[in-house]
Amino acid sequence: MTQSVSTPEPVRTVRKVRKPSLGDRLAEQIPRLVVSPTLLIAVVFIYGFMLWTLVLSFSNSRILPSYGFIGLQNYERLFGNERWTVAITNLAIYGVLFVVICLAIGLLLAILLDQKIRAEGFLRTVYLYPMALSFIVTGTVWKWLLNPTVGIQRFVRELGFEDFRFDWLVNSDMSIYTIVIAAVWQSSGFVMALFLAGLRGVDDSIIKAAQIDGASRITIYTRIIIPSLRPVFFSAIIMLSHIAIKSFDLALALTGGGPGFSSDLPAIFMYQFSFTRGQMGVGAASAIIMLMGVMAILIPYLYSELRVKKDDR
Amino acid sequence: MTVKHSERRYSEVTGRAVLYAILIIVAIYYLIPLAIMISTSFRDMNDIRFGHLIDLPSSLSLEAWRMAWSEVQIGARRQLGLRPYFINSLLITIPAVTISVIVGALNGYVLSFWRFKGSNIFFALLLFGCFLPFQAILLPQATVLGKIGLSGTIPGLILTHVVYGVAFTTLFYRNYYVSLPGELVKAAQLDGAGFWRIFWRIILPLSTPITVVAVIWQFTQIWNDFLFGVAFSSPRSQPVTVGLNNMVNSSTGEVRYNVDMAGAIIAALPTLAVYIIAGKYFVRGLTAGSVKG
Amino acid sequence: MANLHIDNVHKSFGDTHILKGINMDIADGEFIILVGPSGCGKSTLMNCIAGLEQATTGRIIIEDEDVTEAMPKDRDIAMVFQSYALYPNMNVWKNIAFGLEIRKMPKDEIASTVERVADLLQIRPLLKRKPSQLSGGQRQRVAMGRALARDPKIFLFDEPLSNLDAKLRVEMRTEIKKLHQRLKTTIVYVTHDQIEAMTLANRIAVMKDGMIQQFGSPQEVYDEPVNLFVAGFMGSPSMNFIRCKVMEHQGEAHIRMEVDGKDYNLPIPKQEQAVRQRIGQTVILGIRPEQITHVIPQQDAGPNMASVDGKIIVTEPTGADTLTLIRMNDQEVNCRVHPREAKEPGETMTFMINMDKAIFFDPETEDRII
Repeated sequence: MTQSVSTPEPVRTVRKVRKPSLGDRLAEQIPRLVVSPTLLIAVVFIYGFMLWTLVLSFSNSRILPSYGFIGLQNYERLFGNERWTVAITNLAIYGVLFVVICLAIGLLLAILLDQKIRAEGFLRTVYLYPMALSFIVTGTVWKWLLNPTVGIQRFVRELGFEDFRFDWLVNSDMSIYTIVIAAVWQSSGFVMALFLAGLRGVDDSIIKAAQIDGASRITIYTRIIIPSLRPVFFSAIIMLSHIAIKSFDLALALTGGGPGFSSDLPAIFMYQFSFTRGQMGVGAASAIIMLMGVMAILIPYLYSELRVKKDDR
Repeated sequence: MTVKHSERRYSEVTGRAVLYAILIIVAIYYLIPLAIMISTSFRDMNDIRFGHLIDLPSSLSLEAWRMAWSEVQIGARRQLGLRPYFINSLLITIPAVTISVIVGALNGYVLSFWRFKGSNIFFALLLFGCFLPFQAILLPQATVLGKIGLSGTIPGLILTHVVYGVAFTTLFYRNYYVSLPGELVKAAQLDGAGFWRIFWRIILPLSTPITVVAVIWQFTQIWNDFLFGVAFSSPRSQPVTVGLNNMVNSSTGEVRYNVDMAGAIIAALPTLAVYIIAGKYFVRGLTAGSVKG
Repeated sequence: MANLHIDNVHKSFGDTHILKGINMDIADGEFIILVGPSGCGKSTLMNCIAGLEQATTGRIIIEDEDVTEAMPKDRDIAMVFQSYALYPNMNVWKNIAFGLEIRKMPKDEIASTVERVADLLQIRPLLKRKPSQLSGGQRQRVAMGRALARDPKIFLFDEPLSNLDAKLRVEMRTEIKKLHQRLKTTIVYVTHDQIEAMTLANRIAVMKDGMIQQFGSPQEVYDEPVNLFVAGFMGSPSMNFIRCKVMEHQGEAHIRMEVDGKDYNLPIPKQEQAVRQRIGQTVILGIRPEQITHVIPQQDAGPNMASVDGKIIVTEPTGADTLTLIRMNDQEVNCRVHPREAKEPGETMTFMINMDKAIFFDPETEDRII
């Protein structure tokens, strides 16, 4: 508005105009060039392939891909298949139990470890090491431990409890729960690490203020600290559900989907129909359903993350 | 007053005792499978058949280890034991980790300090790759690998791991670099340094912590992978996870648990070693994956 | 050393207009201070001068050379950042030498330059240390050393002292002033600190909403602010703004002021002709706290001295003066009195108002009434 220097545009002699050299102009493009291979990867290998899978799911592909359009027939066949119904029911049971138990154990361990424990570093290492193992290794070990004739059942019986039964691995009603046991063993330490990081990030002065207000330790945890860990719960749930939906190797190594197909999961179903049973169209349809499952969890998460970031600005 | 005081001390002491008891019991729960794995791998089959599940080996036998490493027949393979699979895993993991970490570092550098129009969209596109269920790309990837002649080869697996690992490494580096002061790059630009010189002289020397995180993360992910290993390999290029699974499931006759356990330890040893040596960074990688920004 | 012309520079990101036509003529060797609230565009302007961002339209001319599109490295500008931006992996010596090395200065020349700068800033003992081993003040010196070593045409300082504690800040301020007097390089300096602005600048540019509100000498900006924003922004405690009416009293235009139930007619100085025309209208009277003070007996009560009796609400002793809060026209007014003269809250004392120093603003446009 008000410009105290209201003198008219002074006539200025410009001796020369310095422009960036050709080399500099090319150099300006380097950042784009550097990320372009990755952009290509993202567009082709992630998004392109997702679309491709979608196309396959509408096609009459069997052992080899072919592109005769058959509408929703693969999806009809998929949902008409008892094995698939079992697989998604199993995923629901396994997913919910896995997430809930991991959260409970993880939070509890984190709170216990947060009490100025002496050997905290050592204990943390112990709780977390299964995360470094391959699911195949975990599956191999637990397959043995859970095997009634050689594992825990036999061990307890030898201790004198002759009637002890723990045969979930070979019991088609219970086999899915063995996957829960092994998966929780492997992943709960990770949730503990997430929560512990969250607990350490809680503002100390809030806790001190609550102590001065006379809140007991339990009240401080239930009313102040745990509610403030909401974002940690959020991301732990996302990561765990993501692990659950992708679960393939653990189930394959532990139960192989059996007995029968009682502990089948969508990931195993997808693999077998696509690669070993020559039903590529149905396999693609099952992959698309899995993708939709992940998106259903992910999109609200990413949405809220991005919205928070906008507010920050 | 004094009575009350000592009562309080008393309950506090029992409280601590209970606390430690719980923590130790849980620790034992986590450790037992590993302990059984190790002790079993040193026992011989007679010992296992007639002994307890949880028992120290009566004699320290390395037989099972030798069998698992180089003698057991896995599938119809001519070479025996897990050794060839282990070597395959090394041949896949080392290049795949190296390439994906370098690409991720450069991407993160660009996305943090050299933003351009659309770079945020690019990052968002890539971010989704971290959550992609690989089943959704398995069939096209198999087709493409076949088309370019990499089907069932180690280079094919390297390519696959790089392609689907770059999203993670980019995320790691980008989130680390945005925490560095952007003025560093501005100062270097005014000092006359360009894109590459700033990266080599200023940014890369500051990247050691995140590089350790990214290398460990990628190493664990790729070493432990089973899905790509089983879907895109031929018997000649299978990684150790596939080898172990085949070994455990294909043995005919009596199951040799000691060999299975020795095999499982062999497969787990590299990642376990990394975890024990650099556990701090391992945890940081896990948590970094969950703290998006 | 160079002059700098900023010619109608605009900068927009999409629909967001950060700079809306900046014009500045800066002479060779001038020390220019940019002040303004955060988000006013001063950092963007600095980046445009440095070449770290491109102006959307307009020109930037350094020493008669149009550098609007030139790369930062070709502009010969050095910048000292708020965070210092020292390269953490290099020791002090290398930090200072980095820019010289890139410019392919011979090795022995680099060494002598680094040593000369290190002596100038008294950081010679620190040359082998890493930035993490330095205190805040030392880092600040190194950052300046890095800029000095390049011997650039123009120095840019982006709030260089705001991360230092109060005492160090004053010391460094003096040092920067000494350096400028010695080197006589053109400096553009961004700060939040009014005292820094007043003490260092040859001229101050006050920015708001991407525009320069006023560009003038420190005294000019302080005494003759062009609008309410500049008046309120410069000076601490800030200028009092009192809404009041212009009334006719005994044939003369006066300011009607009510203080604790009593009405006063305050004189309007002759030079404020434009205000005298506004009889019956509301204006905003701007008067700095130091112009409302206790009665000084020996001081000649000029025609534009007015006295009012005010009940003290709060007193804030600062040592040199005591700030005293009273109410005029139902608005709080800060007065600056001698500590010995200050009375207690609740008591009434007589204040002298120096209306010669009063200025007036239009309540609608917020511009000064001239």
